[in-house]
Amino acid sequence: MRTVSLTVNGNPVEEEVEPRLLLSDFLRHELGLTGTHVGCEQGVCGACTVLVDGETVRSCLTLACQADGTAIQTVEGLAPNGGLNVLQRAFQENHGLQCGFCTPGFLMAATALLERNDDPSEEEIRDELSGNICRCTGYTGIVRSVQAAALQLREGTVTASEGTAG
Amino acid sequence: MTTSLPIDHELHPAGAQYVGAKINRVEDPRFLRGEGRFVDDMSLPGMLHAAFLRSPVAHANITSIDTSRAAALPGVTAVFTGQDLEAEGIQPIVSRAFLPGMGDNLREPLPTKKVRYVGEAVAVVVADSRYIAEDACELIDVEYERLPAVIDPEGALDPGAALLHEDLPANLIGRKSESHGDPERVFAEADHVFSHRFVHGRVAGVPIECRGVIAEYDRGREGFLIYSSTQIPHLTRSVAAECFGLAESDLQVIAPDVGGGFGIKAHPYIEEVVIPFAARRIGRPVKWIEDRYEHLSSAVHAKELVMDLELAVAADGTFLGMRGRYNANAGAYGCFPQTGMVDAMCAATLLPSLYKVDHVSYEILAVYTNKCMTGTYRGVGWGAGHTAREVLIDDAARALGRDPLELRLQNCIPSEPYRSVVGMNYDGGSYQESMEQARDALDYDALRERQAKLREEGRYIGVGFSPFVEPAGFGSKAAAAVGQKHQVTYDWGSVTLEGDGTVTVRMGFHSHGQGHETTFAQVAADQLGVRMEDVRIKYGDTEGVPYSTGTFASRSGVIGSGLIMRAGGDVRDKLLRLAAHLMEVSPADIELSGGKAFVRGAPDTARTIKEVAQYAYFGPGSRQLEGDMALTSTRSYDPPESYSNGTIAVVVEVDPETGKVTIERTVAIEDCGVMLNPTIVEGQVAGAVAQGIGGALYEEFVYDDDGNFLSGTLLDYLLASSMEVGPIEVHHIETPSPVTDGGIKGMGEAGTLAAPAAVLNAVADALSPFGVTFTSTPITASLIRDAVAAKREGEQ
Repeated sequence: MRTVSLTVNGNPVEEEVEPRLLLSDFLRHELGLTGTHVGCEQGVCGACTVLVDGETVRSCLTLACQADGTAIQTVEGLAPNGGLNVLQRAFQENHGLQCGFCTPGFLMAATALLERNDDPSEEEIRDELSGNICRCTGYTGIVRSVQAAALQLREGTVTASEGTAG
Repeated sequence: MTTSLPIDHELHPAGAQYVGAKINRVEDPRFLRGEGRFVDDMSLPGMLHAAFLRSPVAHANITSIDTSRAAALPGVTAVFTGQDLEAEGIQPIVSRAFLPGMGDNLREPLPTKKVRYVGEAVAVVVADSRYIAEDACELIDVEYERLPAVIDPEGALDPGAALLHEDLPANLIGRKSESHGDPERVFAEADHVFSHRFVHGRVAGVPIECRGVIAEYDRGREGFLIYSSTQIPHLTRSVAAECFGLAESDLQVIAPDVGGGFGIKAHPYIEEVVIPFAARRIGRPVKWIEDRYEHLSSAVHAKELVMDLELAVAADGTFLGMRGRYNANAGAYGCFPQTGMVDAMCAATLLPSLYKVDHVSYEILAVYTNKCMTGTYRGVGWGAGHTAREVLIDDAARALGRDPLELRLQNCIPSEPYRSVVGMNYDGGSYQESMEQARDALDYDALRERQAKLREEGRYIGVGFSPFVEPAGFGSKAAAAVGQKHQVTYDWGSVTLEGDGTVTVRMGFHSHGQGHETTFAQVAADQLGVRMEDVRIKYGDTEGVPYSTGTFASRSGVIGSGLIMRAGGDVRDKLLRLAAHLMEVSPADIELSGGKAFVRGAPDTARTIKEVAQYAYFGPGSRQLEGDMALTSTRSYDPPESYSNGTIAVVVEVDPETGKVTIERTVAIEDCGVMLNPTIVEGQVAGAVAQGIGGALYEEFVYDDDGNFLSGTLLDYLLASSMEVGPIEVHHIETPSPVTDGGIKGMGEAGTLAAPAAVLNAVADALSPFGVTFTSTPITASLIRDAVAAKREGEQ
């Protein structure tokens, strides 16, 4: 067993883990953060995407012990007050989800994109999100959602911390 | 007071404000916060974890299974094989014959004698963790005696072919022929006959959530609680109850949030029997979550069809007749309940589509092979048959020197209700108008000019059209129309006005992306005049909702809305009587809207529906009303045949050197009758189109000649990403159905059904200078590149 010490959505966590335990399983089954979903465990679908020190990471291809000393953000941390942040709201207002299973991964990938670039073109959005697979929406609503969130961020109607993972 | 009002089956009763509006989905926030509850998010006290050992060979006798090393691994609770289930009398899943000469197909939950495809479950390990269970699977020793693999559907019926099921005389699942009109004569007399053999690739829905089962056994009550990622919990309950020899209500099946279905989760599976068995034997809850390899290799595949089509055409371009032979490579077992005939039957009965053709014949057959069994996938065989037909029509247009859209318009049926020669009763639509609207949306003439100009620059763009008519709102009559007379449908739903004035709708139509919690709340709110936020839609729990054949074949919208209109009308009748009694006026004078009951034209008289409900539940005066005053009603609805229609048009650019296809534009014209919520309609169209594009260009389950499975990861079975799909424009035409409640037509599958033909036709159109045509899906980049190269070589 290894001891890992990290923060998840700003909360300090210290746990004993098996060296082979996947980060996705650690988050879901050890910490009970089941919002991060597992779609393939082959590193393809992107459903398990979380932010590790601000970078998108496939939690199904990462060992929990590799996350030692990092700061992790998951979908549960996007709107800590139980509401919706601007990106989440944009997904609801632009029909950016259907079954909702791939959605947390898309939200995290889009969060990372918007933190780097609050004025992405449609082509940039499609390119940045192409590591995530959605089988329901045809991506039309997702792309529109990210565009809508970016516009709101640029217009300053929400603050950056409201707008993204905060 | 016995005033009785007529039951109101109107979709828009007086005061209605929700149906037809673009309304954001009410189910979204929980998913956006990561608070959905999917099967793998559940945990029961004392729960153990299961992993399956699956066959690495396509066809073999099981000589022996030694589980002792696996059972001895620390952390392992038990290992079970087919022998353990057989010893306790667990019955096989039976896929029942429905045609003369067809045999029942029995599938043991775990095989006792032989394996029939790569990925078939052979044993199950239950352990403290999934990690340990998977370790233990590697310690199970199975000896196989290899048998020849049957892979090719045309060779499956050869006398020398190995037999998959020893209790059946051949690898034939079933065979049927039909002839309407006089196709022999028109084919003999036709000026032109076009034909091809089209092989549709093996594909599947591939939702992002794999399947999963948690089972708990209640020893005292001798019953099961089963959580399953299924589209149809009642169907799972029926099959599992039969396998265990239990009464249906001894099992409670709950499908919680389900991460996509697309037909692949519309079938009961052996894991829904094996995991409960293990839970009963061990006396603790057991969870199994399907991994992606298991899903790709062992959840149903679909649409692999060899199709021989012929089209007879007169000199002026009039379609005279169509003939088809459809051979479905249905894999190792019969899927329940449709059997492996489902794709061939659906493809053949829709052969004439929206064309005025009076002479049609077809033969359908399906065969067992050593591949994963086939079942339903969005658009089913309708889509495969549609692709084969529409590609042949484009080939014919090119050969005749005709514009492909003009040729289709020339042969299109009128917009009025129409009975096709094979006996489908189309309920009217916008068959021609949708084609014209697609043409106008594309600015077709300008597009052709641009195409010619770009060709001079060595760039190749093309356009493909795919007009469709789509069986939807699938009830018993629709099932009969596609040849499934044995498969009636049965759906009930209830509407209840609670004592606090909120409304609860209970139906068996599971929602796994379709947005039922929104659309059905719109319908119910309009029926009872309450606010949408005061409606709750309940589904997914066999203990909590009435029976339903379930969500598939674009049926929930039509049937669910009809149920709410019927049951809601009953409750509305009583609500009006209660309000009238409370307000001392006639029920006929009351209007319900916005959560209030008021005398028509006098809004200041309003009482809230909450007040009326409280009067009903708690007000002594309400007991003066005579008759049954239960503020709930359960009704059934089995709609007539109804059909959505539309046209999908795709513009592509193709690089002839690499074979790369770029989708420049997709236009989808959708006519699904009266729309409940255009936002949801547009989302369904876009999602379905994306799957259609994937099936046309990228997706295929590949087996080698020995039956080895070569598509076990999402790096092999390629799903289209946001880069490949491109923008999708949706346009609406609303032709109300004259036969369904509210004029609603089902929708959701057409994109998957029709987009592949548009893509193939667009690519062939782009490459027409090379003379390239296609007779299979998917048309991968390497296939396109090779086809162009072959034509170039042929010219030299």
